[in-house]
Amino acid sequence: MTEHDDRQIREALKQSFPPVNTELRRDLWPAMLRKFDARPARVPWYDWVLIGLSVSVFLFFPQLILVFAYHL
Amino acid sequence: MDLLRRFALGEIDAFETVVRQFQGDIYSWIVRIVRDPGVAEDLTVETLWRIYRARHSFRPDGNFVAWARRVATNLAIDHLRHKRPEQSLLSEPAGPAMPDQLVQRETREKIQQAFRGLPAKLQVAATLALVEERPYDEIADALGTSAGAVKLRVFRAVRILRKRLKQLGVRP
Repeated sequence: MTEHDDRQIREALKQSFPPVNTELRRDLWPAMLRKFDARPARVPWYDWVLIGLSVSVFLFFPQLILVFAYHL
Repeated sequence: MDLLRRFALGEIDAFETVVRQFQGDIYSWIVRIVRDPGVAEDLTVETLWRIYRARHSFRPDGNFVAWARRVATNLAIDHLRHKRPEQSLLSEPAGPAMPDQLVQRETREKIQQAFRGLPAKLQVAATLALVEERPYDEIADALGTSAGAVKLRVFRAVRILRKRLKQLGVRP
């Protein structure tokens, strides 16, 4: 590929893709806040494991519910 | 304490200032790649969101703009990968066109079609280097690679583009 070919391709691309306006037209902070609000609170995986373990323990040893309730 | 340090610690006021200070730079970088203002705004918001989530991994003495551009470029590459091929990158003026204009328009469309067919990473490198004429070092920073690798990508992009244009019967 010669430098001339390279220049031809460059010119063809510049004609095919006219310049874009690179100025931001609005403040994006409000959109950012909406994104914060839209994200539901996520429960981490280890919390689910803890809940599962607690439920299993109470199923197999229901008398522990009373001990647990006493300590609450 | 300086702004970026407070941002890294998760202070929301500091993040708001960071957004207002850098949103223009991030947007202008993305719009150069995707060439669609609406998409670029959405990707800028997503970039800022990802930056916020990854704030703990940011070193306050590091280069924030370079980091933000890298996140933005990765998102733009993902967007180009998943974009529908029929989407037009150029808005054509309405009304009847002269035969010469029709030929030119057809040629431009074929060039765009061939360009959109390039792998996303090559497309980004070629857009920034050949259309936007950004320095290779700047592109390399944003792509997380070396200037030599960017030059290679541009070279490959031009070679593929030339081959595809030949197949489409276009001589640039």
